[in-house]
Amino acid sequence: MPADVTASLDAAQPPALGTAQGDAAKLGLAAAVAWRNLWRNRRRTWLAVGGVAFATALVQFSMSLQLGGYAAQIEAATDFFVGHAQIQRSDYLEQARIEQTLVGVTALVRSLEARPDVLAVAPRVEAFALASVDERSFGVQVLGMDAARERRTVGFLRRIAEGRMAAAADEVVLGSALARNLGAGLGDELVVLGAGKEGGVAALAASVSGIFDSGILELDRSLMLAPIDAVQSAFGLGDEAHSLVLRSTDPLAGAELVRSLNAELPLGAKARNWDAVLPDLHQGIELDRLSSVFLYAIIILVVTFSVVNTFIMTVFERTREFGLLRAIGMRPGALIGMVQLEALCIWLLGVGLAFALMVPVIGWLSSYGLYLGEELSQVGSNLFLPDRIHPRLGWAVSLTAPAIMLGGVQLAALAPALRIRRLQPVAALRAQE
Amino acid sequence: MLLKLLQLSVRNILRQRRRNGLMLAAILVAVAAVVVMSSLIRGMQEDLAETAVAGLLGHVKVLAPGYRDDPGIQRSFALAEDWMSLVGAGAVAGWAARVRVPAVIMSERGTRGVQFVGVDPAQEGISFLDDAEVVGEPLRDGGDGRILIGRALAEQLETKLGRRLVIITQGADGLSREAGFRIAGLYEAQGEGLEKAFAFTGVDALQRMLGTPAFTELSIRLHEEPAAALVKERLAAHRADLEVLDWRELAPQAAAMFLFADAAVFIWFLIMMGALVFGLVNTLVTSVMERVRELGMLRALGMRPGSVVLQVILEAGLLMLMGVAVGVALGGAVVYWLADGIDLSLWAEGVETYGMSPVLRPVALAEDVLLIVALSLSLGVVASLYPARRAVKVKLLDALGR
Repeated sequence: MPADVTASLDAAQPPALGTAQGDAAKLGLAAAVAWRNLWRNRRRTWLAVGGVAFATALVQFSMSLQLGGYAAQIEAATDFFVGHAQIQRSDYLEQARIEQTLVGVTALVRSLEARPDVLAVAPRVEAFALASVDERSFGVQVLGMDAARERRTVGFLRRIAEGRMAAAADEVVLGSALARNLGAGLGDELVVLGAGKEGGVAALAASVSGIFDSGILELDRSLMLAPIDAVQSAFGLGDEAHSLVLRSTDPLAGAELVRSLNAELPLGAKARNWDAVLPDLHQGIELDRLSSVFLYAIIILVVTFSVVNTFIMTVFERTREFGLLRAIGMRPGALIGMVQLEALCIWLLGVGLAFALMVPVIGWLSSYGLYLGEELSQVGSNLFLPDRIHPRLGWAVSLTAPAIMLGGVQLAALAPALRIRRLQPVAALRAQE
Repeated sequence: MLLKLLQLSVRNILRQRRRNGLMLAAILVAVAAVVVMSSLIRGMQEDLAETAVAGLLGHVKVLAPGYRDDPGIQRSFALAEDWMSLVGAGAVAGWAARVRVPAVIMSERGTRGVQFVGVDPAQEGISFLDDAEVVGEPLRDGGDGRILIGRALAEQLETKLGRRLVIITQGADGLSREAGFRIAGLYEAQGEGLEKAFAFTGVDALQRMLGTPAFTELSIRLHEEPAAALVKERLAAHRADLEVLDWRELAPQAAAMFLFADAAVFIWFLIMMGALVFGLVNTLVTSVMERVRELGMLRALGMRPGSVVLQVILEAGLLMLMGVAVGVALGGAVVYWLADGIDLSLWAEGVETYGMSPVLRPVALAEDVLLIVALSLSLGVVASLYPARRAVKVKLLDALGR
């Protein structure tokens, strides 16, 4: 009998062939045996595959939602008002005083616009003032904007709900709550009083050409827009601005852009990426990412436990079989390798199933979007989250979970398989099936 | 009979210590993770509500109609002497009547817009103002004509303790008022947002400046949040001319996050149990299939199919019960270990946007733990149905012939 088995094994792997080919044939045979072993207990295999598929698909789906959600959130937040990157004087960031300006702005803007990685640049002048209509007065943030450049850089001017952007030097646009508080409508006259650059009184008499409704109460309540040259001359500024807002070709490569800008900018000026301009958004995203890593780790751990269990059962039930294989000359390493191959097959099936489930679902949702419900989208609107999230597939999204699961499954199979090394063929053959 | 089945189940579990031990480990990791996560989510929820309520909202707030759209002293009201008795003083933990108006605040070096709030410090035990740290002096009483501003605002205005600030706002007659206030103290709040938004003075002093004895808001803090609906109803009936709102209406974003947290506890649970169920069914089916001969014998000796089903369910239930017990204990230990709170100050600004404080303290709710226990046990029963069916389907002769 043993001679027959040896002969057939020899037939399967002719020693005359080159070693590389021989190894390939051996591996092929081992894979075929491992694959057949899986189907000796279909139900168990499918349950293990199901666990792997569940964990993989869930992590893939949730990562794709995060990727799409974050991207949409970042785009909405930066497009709304702050842009992909900003340049200010570094002392202006700390104190925000009117005299802390960037100078030679026209030339600076032109040179930035000439860069291939910058799509548009908008200069802004910011000042605090008191706006009055008749006897009513409110503190306002006056924002001098270059309307044409502003439109190319961010979408804020689209929020003008009534009227139009200020075009002439004596026109302003008010936030909706500010207009209501002042009791001012389109065409009404108002007086703006503030302190100019040199400490003198800055005064501006203007009429309301438009009213914006941004949905952010703080802005609607306190912001006034005016043409940049009008604000510059009223507040005693020359060719100066407090901020330059940039739209870049690739917001995700913002760190690169900012590094290269900071190398070129005049002394004292500082470029910041959106994550520094909007630390709250950036940190919110980081926190969300971190807490979901915890969730993923636990899911994968729980599923790995059940895969370990599967292999404990597999190895235990086949004690006799392994004893026999050892007795006829198969080395422990080869047996462990076979069990590892079985694990690999389970992983392949599980991950294949996960992809088969997730790719169409994510693909469909990426064009249609996942609706979050009314309550959440209300929260979302303040956090710049759109009411539909379009999940996104990417290499990291598709492959992170499978890669970790591969490690988990192979380790799960290795733990019980190591017992095979201690297997005594004679005792194993006597073991009850 | 049931006792016998229970005994049988216990022994069956003990027969396969390693396999069941691993299953237990999986259950306990999942259950402990859900317990920890749910208590963190509850902690976040409580913190959201507390931050909202303490930030001058109170559980219930009374405002003049239109004040929310157009805040100002014109939209004010007089406080009736007896309003407390109408509400039921027992439910009220504290209240504060304030005057809050938008104002422009000016130092020699800077100008900003703020909410200027007249308070009676004795009443402010209900808001963050009471435990905010103050450099200098806090306000003495409602007649204190000095000003208390946030540290961040002082930096913006480049001013300091003892200096004078000019406040410009609208009086009760609609005309602009301008007055000087000496800085009594600088307060530190959780988050610069509050520090930049609010400046405080004595309520009587502000009323004098505006030329009215009226208030713009009445904030009420309750012993228990659920009483808010009742208090709100009574107040609304009493003063139909005013707007009575609870904190959920005043801070809709925090309230929506609050609701979302309820769902999040559930979602966490479902995901964990989903991951668990594959292993559980696998373990149980294997346990049944190994005992085909045994089950055949028991059936041949007269055990009824119902008892077989019950035995498998008991086995699953016991396994789950042990896992849940240890898991809840482990989760509880982790929650206890985290009781001082998780420091999120690295993400302070992100956390602040969500309306939370930078230290997250877990809050374990008995009803959440009970829910987790009950749902886990029912999951154990559901997962055992398929294996139990397999056990009953065993044919006597086949089983014995194996």
